[in-house]
Amino acid sequence: MTRIKLENVTKVFGNTIAVDNVSLEINEGEFFTIIGPSGCGKTTTLRIIAGFELPEQGKIYFDDQDVTYLKPYHRNTAMVFQNYALWPHMTVYDNIAYGLRLRKVPEEEIKKRVKWALELVDLEGVEKRYPLQLSGGQQQRVALARALVVEPNVLLLDEPLSNLDAKLRVEMREEIKSLQKRLKITTVYVTHDQLEALSMSDRIAVMNKGKVLQIDTPTNLYFKPNSLFVASFLGRSNVLEGRVTGTLDNSMVRVYVDQLDKELIIYTHGGIETGKVHVVIRPESFELVEDLVDRDNIIEGIIEDSMFLGDKIEARVISGPAKLTIYLPNKTIVRQGQKVMLHIPPDRMVALPA
Amino acid sequence: MANATNTTDHYKIRDLLLVGLIGAVLYYIGVNYNIPDLDLIAWILAIIIPISMYKRGLDVEKLKYSFSLSFLSIVSYLYVFMVLLLRLPGIPKAISILLTPIVVVSFVYSVDTYLKKRKTARQEIKLPFSKKVKATLYSLDTLVIAFLVIGTVMLVVFLLAPVLIMLWNAFITPPGTPFYENFKTIFTTRKYIRLITFGESPWSFQYIGDEKVLVITGVNYGVLLNSLINSVIVTTVATILGIIVAFVLARYRFPGKTFLRILALVPLFVTPFINSYVIKILFSASGPISIITKNLFGFAVQIDSLAGVTIAQIMAFYPIVYLNAYASFLNIDPSMEEQAENLGAKGFKLFSTVTLPLALPGIAAGSIIVFIFSLEDLGAPIVFQERRLMSYLIYSGFTSETGVISPELAALGFVMLFLAVVSFLSIKNYVGMRSYAMISRGGRWKPRERKLGIKGLLVVYLILLPLIIWTAMPQIGVVLLAFNMMSPTGFYIHPEQATPTYFLELFQNPNIFIYIKNTITYALVAVFIATTLSIIIGYAVSRVKIRFITSALDALSTIPIAIPGLVIALGYYFFFATLFKGTPLDPTSGPTVFQAWIVLIIAYSIRKLPFVVRSVFAGFQQVHVALEEAALNLGATRRKVVFGIVLPLILAYIISGAIIGFIYISTEVSTSITIGSLRSDQAPMTYYMKNIYIGGQLAGIQYVAAMGVLLILFQLLAILIVILGLKQSYAFIGA
Ligand SMILES: Nc1ncnc2c1ncn2[C@@H]1O[C@H](COP(=O)(O)OP(=O)(O)OP(=O)(O)O)[C@@H](O)[C@H]1O
Ligand SMILES: [Mg+2]
Repeated sequence: MTRIKLENVTKVFGNTIAVDNVSLEINEGEFFTIIGPSGCGKTTTLRIIAGFELPEQGKIYFDDQDVTYLKPYHRNTAMVFQNYALWPHMTVYDNIAYGLRLRKVPEEEIKKRVKWALELVDLEGVEKRYPLQLSGGQQQRVALARALVVEPNVLLLDEPLSNLDAKLRVEMREEIKSLQKRLKITTVYVTHDQLEALSMSDRIAVMNKGKVLQIDTPTNLYFKPNSLFVASFLGRSNVLEGRVTGTLDNSMVRVYVDQLDKELIIYTHGGIETGKVHVVIRPESFELVEDLVDRDNIIEGIIEDSMFLGDKIEARVISGPAKLTIYLPNKTIVRQGQKVMLHIPPDRMVALPA
Repeated sequence: MANATNTTDHYKIRDLLLVGLIGAVLYYIGVNYNIPDLDLIAWILAIIIPISMYKRGLDVEKLKYSFSLSFLSIVSYLYVFMVLLLRLPGIPKAISILLTPIVVVSFVYSVDTYLKKRKTARQEIKLPFSKKVKATLYSLDTLVIAFLVIGTVMLVVFLLAPVLIMLWNAFITPPGTPFYENFKTIFTTRKYIRLITFGESPWSFQYIGDEKVLVITGVNYGVLLNSLINSVIVTTVATILGIIVAFVLARYRFPGKTFLRILALVPLFVTPFINSYVIKILFSASGPISIITKNLFGFAVQIDSLAGVTIAQIMAFYPIVYLNAYASFLNIDPSMEEQAENLGAKGFKLFSTVTLPLALPGIAAGSIIVFIFSLEDLGAPIVFQERRLMSYLIYSGFTSETGVISPELAALGFVMLFLAVVSFLSIKNYVGMRSYAMISRGGRWKPRERKLGIKGLLVVYLILLPLIIWTAMPQIGVVLLAFNMMSPTGFYIHPEQATPTYFLELFQNPNIFIYIKNTITYALVAVFIATTLSIIIGYAVSRVKIRFITSALDALSTIPIAIPGLVIALGYYFFFATLFKGTPLDPTSGPTVFQAWIVLIIAYSIRKLPFVVRSVFAGFQQVHVALEEAALNLGATRRKVVFGIVLPLILAYIISGAIIGFIYISTEVSTSITIGSLRSDQAPMTYYMKNIYIGGQLAGIQYVAAMGVLLILFQLLAILIVILGLKQSYAFIGA
């Protein structure tokens, strides 16, 4: 198990800065995900960790060892490539055994380990086949087995599920997660699928244009994004404008929200005491309340319309000049034109400096 | 500089041609009415006005992006350049004035965009040099460094150095003359440029015995112009023929089509000298054409000398264009044509506005190869004994009594190299950009094919079929000659005299077999070297990015295709005569000391390198880098990755590259008969085949033809192995 540290890492290609002064720490055995739009530098970051790219600036540490200049074949990482990169001229067995043979493991032992790896990924009996004889999902498992069999210090996964169909993707998602939990390998996972990121990760880093914008747990990231970009990249949100009228403590402020004509108590990442702010509220943050209990953060509104989405109900609420999108439990019954009262817990929304 | 992306384009490309036309007319009037000032005015007009038009807004992007206009601008460049270089007067010069505005504008435009690019390049993120070096070193390891060094050294020493040493020799002049004396001779003496021809007629009636013969010879304009005119005519006619045949075969369905397609490839079987010899017979007073004209008009027709060379080269080289054009027509996305039809384009309009422009890059790639092949060809000139061509002149330097080659020939070699490389690079530039645009569209489709109507069928069977059969005749004739079914002196067929003696004697007569043995040995060794070099260079180029070095390596490994074999021969001659003076590698050391085989093997492996390289490169492109990175990631060193993963994966490409290389090497002519002539007992087959004439006398035609058949068998076998055994597409010339 290895701790990974990136210190002010910058990588430049021609005139694009693929990775821009990135610092992050990944803990032992952690499932760490990097997410961001296409071209934001996710793959490049991963490749820097694997040693395929040398950063122009910054250092990389595995535990306390500086590995910045260490060649890829000395790092003991194992990468699963987006296109799996299985060698088409070798059988599944030879593919998986390759890393072990390089490590001069006796053939007897190799046999056992390959079997173990194939069982691990739930894919027995395909040893003699060639990669092209396998389905996409099977290839993906072989690639995973090939990476895991060498007992790497670090597992690196670059959008490993993006070539699979939706159903398989959900299955593999759970499988990878449970494997990682069992083996406790430090894992860096790259994806641009927010569901994957939120459901699998211990922590997530959101990147944009080479920069890391926020690193946090899935829940925090979701309800307390530190920028409008992060907010809009992960899920939907209502963005309102307001101005700070007072502070409660380091992380809570009073905000007068113009469109609601109401003062709310809202979480902040700190550092704002006055001035204009954006208020980000997730549709899930609203709770329907029956009667006007004397509580903070209650707003009134009228249901404009609603949609039944199976697992939830999406409704549009008009409150003053503001139009809000809210999600309600699917058992809820709402009518068009109905008057509703909604409570928003202070730590389920965030005020960002405008 | 003007704003090229000006939205209001005042002028069109058409206006440029108009300006050029006015200039050309002015010049022509000036010449005919003796007003020399008009010449100057015409030039000023053709240069100044286009520049001002450019500044005021011209639809100049067309010159870059239109398939046909950009082609026109490249051809204009070459044309104007050559006319000025050779200082041709009269109509050629008038045409060059006509084209000058286009040249001027596209030149200004290039400079303009270059400057703009430099400006944006300056905004690029600047990294300290030490960081760059560090990053580069990190991406390298001992194996890759070794590859880079070996590849660079081999190409610099055995490709660049010989050419440079030849150039150096071209500037060796007699005392008291300027350093460029040799070039001055080439561009000013009547031996090379002979503009006043005293009204010589390209044809005349002669009586051979009591037979009246129309002898077509062509006109001698001097060595340099003869070569250029010949190559231009050959390229033009071969291109037109190739396009027509390719279009019909690619787009129409009719009975016997497959047969025609295969027959059309027959001329691609290389049978040096002897096929030209058969062509000479075909166009002699006893040939099939003469039989027809004798019956119709009462006289025979004989094509000889310069005209003979031209006709022989057209027949031998047109399939190169045909193949390229055929592939290009098949590669056109049918929806592009359907779209045009949908908008109302039909027939020739559709062909000339959509189909041809889209296929033009592929066709141009084939045409330029024909141009170079024609320029350097020795087969036809030697068979027609046509000494008034650059290639023959250079060749004769090697066979002179003294065995010493004059600096003037080095200069001539350089002129030939220059013509070939300049035209090759400009066309390559044109083709590279376009074919990218086509490929990027992606997708496979069913080619458009339709049935021929009655008129079409008549055209196919009455014109195309005889034409294709006619162009296959040389190879057929070679087979007939080899088995003594045709007289070696004229078009007299006598199948009843068929005998395998000549063919068998190739292997039984040690005096002949030695040449076959030499060829096979040299070709095997040279192929080994070329393949190794291709792997080394291919891997380095496709996996390492170091400014200048990798791109230079890439260019150097493909450029030999544009370097005339005679230039390589000259270069090697001077290279070894200068740097290895007094050793057995010195070509002037005499026919018993000189070790020609070493020089030949090196020359072969470098000269035919591009054909192997292309196949191996294609292999490397198939291997996704991730396949290598996955291995590196699991702990494999570079050596293990290359030999354990990459090479096994591309084995089929390597083998087909080697086989194709073997074919090109075993049929190589230029260096074989030049370097080979300096040590005849170490010479290869093609050297023997050249000896159709010994001291001007016909000799051993049937043996030469038998060797031709042997070579055809080699090639047939190679194609079968590559296509059926390795499932690779056989990489023909060009494309
Ligand atoms: N080898 C390279 N040469 C030049 N530019 C590169 C190279 N690799 C990446 N880039 C550029 O660096 C930037 C980041 O690329 P990267 O592949 O890391 O993005 P990504 O976040 O993985 O995107 P995607 O989701 O599309 O995979 C992009 O602008 C890309 O064009
Ligand atoms: Mg990526």
